[in-house]
Amino acid sequence: MKKTCSSLVCLWLLATTFSSALAADVTVDSSILAGFAKRDVSGASKEKLVPATQFLGLTAYKLLDGSLSAHFYGWGRTDFADKSYNDAKTTGSLTYGYLQYGFNNANSNVRAGRLFVREGIINEQIDGLSFRAGLPMGLGLSAFGGAPVHNVHINGENSDGKGDSIYGGRVNYRYKGLLEIGLSGVYESDAPAMLTHSTGDYRKIGGDLWFTPLNAVDLIGHSSYNPETQSFAEHTYMLNVKPIRHLVLTGEFNEHHEQSYLYSWTMFSAALNPNDKSRSLGISASYQVGNNLEISTDYKRFTREFGSADRTGGDARVKYKDNAIRGGIGYHYLNAGEGFAIGANPSASYHEVRCYIMHDSKSYFTAVDLLSDIFKEKIYGQGSSWEAVTTLGYHLTSTLALSGDFSYGRNQQFTEEAKALLRLTYNMPYTGIGGNK
Amino acid sequence: MKNIYIMLHFLTLILLVLIMGSCSQMRTIPGLPATHPQALALGQQVDCAECHEDQQKGSMKAFNSFSHTPSFIKNHRFYAASDDRLCSTCHKSSFCNDCHTNKVEMKPSIRYGNRPDREFQHRGNYITLHKIEGKLDPASCYRCHGRANNERCVACHK
Repeated sequence: MKKTCSSLVCLWLLATTFSSALAADVTVDSSILAGFAKRDVSGASKEKLVPATQFLGLTAYKLLDGSLSAHFYGWGRTDFADKSYNDAKTTGSLTYGYLQYGFNNANSNVRAGRLFVREGIINEQIDGLSFRAGLPMGLGLSAFGGAPVHNVHINGENSDGKGDSIYGGRVNYRYKGLLEIGLSGVYESDAPAMLTHSTGDYRKIGGDLWFTPLNAVDLIGHSSYNPETQSFAEHTYMLNVKPIRHLVLTGEFNEHHEQSYLYSWTMFSAALNPNDKSRSLGISASYQVGNNLEISTDYKRFTREFGSADRTGGDARVKYKDNAIRGGIGYHYLNAGEGFAIGANPSASYHEVRCYIMHDSKSYFTAVDLLSDIFKEKIYGQGSSWEAVTTLGYHLTSTLALSGDFSYGRNQQFTEEAKALLRLTYNMPYTGIGGNK
Repeated sequence: MKNIYIMLHFLTLILLVLIMGSCSQMRTIPGLPATHPQALALGQQVDCAECHEDQQKGSMKAFNSFSHTPSFIKNHRFYAASDDRLCSTCHKSSFCNDCHTNKVEMKPSIRYGNRPDREFQHRGNYITLHKIEGKLDPASCYRCHGRANNERCVACHK
C-alpha cells in the first residue's frame, strides 16, 4: 500500500511538472480529512479510530495543441490509533490517471491509462485504452481494452475473482433527435479459481434505447444477456414525462435474473438464490413551486420470489438567498413482511424521517442533518436508531476552507457512536468545467 | 456459445474497417464542447431549460432531458450510460468516482458531511438497514459493490 501512496505523490509531481512545462490550465482539488471516532461495539471491545486521509485530484487541460488533457485522482490514508479497517494502517488507491486526446468533431476522443468506461450496459474501471467516435449517417462507435483494475484485496483470498484482460465496445445509431439505439458487449478473460469464494466468467451483451417522441417525453433503458448462462440478465427502463414546465412524472421498471445478472459476483453463491428473480416498479412526481421550493413524492413496489414490499414517501427542498440557505425534509415508509426481515423478525417495515438545513456565506458555512429510523418490530432489542451531524466551517480564502463535523448516534450495531472530523479542502476554480461542482 | 463469441469478434473487425473508412467524414459531424462555457453555482440544481430550448448539436438530445430534477438525480445512471460525454462538460470524473469506484475510502455522506443537500446512499444507520435493503433489491447493491468496491461486503458475506 505504501507503493500506492508513493505512486500518488509521484503522479502529482510528474503531472505538475509536465503541465507546467507545457503551460496548460491546471486545476487541483485536495481534501485532507482527519477523523476521530469512539465506538462501543455491542458485545465487543471499545474502538478508538484516528484516521487521516488525503484525497487528491489534478487535471491539466489544453496540453500540447490544446486537445490533450491529463486527469489524476486518488487517495491515501494513515491510521494513528486502531485500524479503521482490517488491512494495513497505511493504504491508498489510484482511482484514475489517464491522458485524453479529444477531437473537435464527432464527440471523438482517445484515452489511455487507468480510466472508467461507461457505454450502454458497460460500466468498468480498466488499465488500458478506450476510444469513441461519431460516424456518418447517425452511427457511433466506441471500444476499449486492457486489464481490469485489481486493487481490491479480499481477506483470505488470493485474487478478487477478475480475469486478466477485458475488452468490449458499443455501436449506436441515432435518428435525428428522436431515437438512439445501441448494442454493447463486454468480454473478460476466464475468472481465476478462488480459495473460499466462487465466481463466474464475466461476459455480457446487451442493447440500450433512448426514445424521445416528443420534447417532453423520454423513454430510456437497456436489457442485457449473459451468454455464459444463456439467459437475460437485466431489463431496466425509465419513462420521463414533463407535461408542464417544472412538473416531472417518472415511471420505472426493473427486472433482474439473479443467476445471470450476478453471475460474476464473488458473494453471489453465499448470499443469494440463483433461481431467484427480482422485479421493481416505481412511479414518482416532482414539482418546483416558484424558485425556492421543490416537492416530490414516490412509490415503489419490490417483488421477489419470497414476497412483495412497498415503499412510499415524499421530500421537500427549499432554498433562499441564491442558494445561501438550503434545507430539506423527507419521510418514507417501507412496508415489508418477514421475508425481508432481519433474523426471525415478523416484519421489516420501518419509517425513515430526515431533515437538514445549511447556510453558506462568504466567510463561514454551517449545516445540521438529522436522520431517524423507527422500526415496526425491534431489531436486536432496539425499536429505533438516529444520527445527528453538525458542521461548522470557515472559508480561509475563496479556494481554501477549514471545517469540522461532529456526529452522534445510537443504532443496533453501535449502542453509541460519536465521530468528529476535521476537513481542509482546496478547490482550485476552473470556470470552464462548471466551477468546483 | 462459442459461435456467439466468434460472431462478436467478426463484428468487431467489420466495425474497425467501417470506422477507418469513415474517418475522413468525421470533420463534418458536430461535437459537444469540451467544457460548459459558463461556470455553475455550487449547490445549484441545474435547469438546462432555463437557457436552452433546443437539442444539443453533439448528441442530438433535448437539453430539457438533462435538467437536474429529483428524478434525474435518482435515475442519473440511465443518462450517464448513454452520454457521459455530456456529463463531463460540467463534472470532473472525480465527481462520479466519489461513489462509483473500485475502492471507496469512506462513505460519501461522511466525506461530504458539510453537504447534506447532496443525494448520497447509505446515510445514517445503513449498516443495519442493508440487511433489509439488500433483500429488497440485490441488483442495486451489485451495481456498485459487485465486481468492484466489494471487499467490505465479502468480509462478512462469505
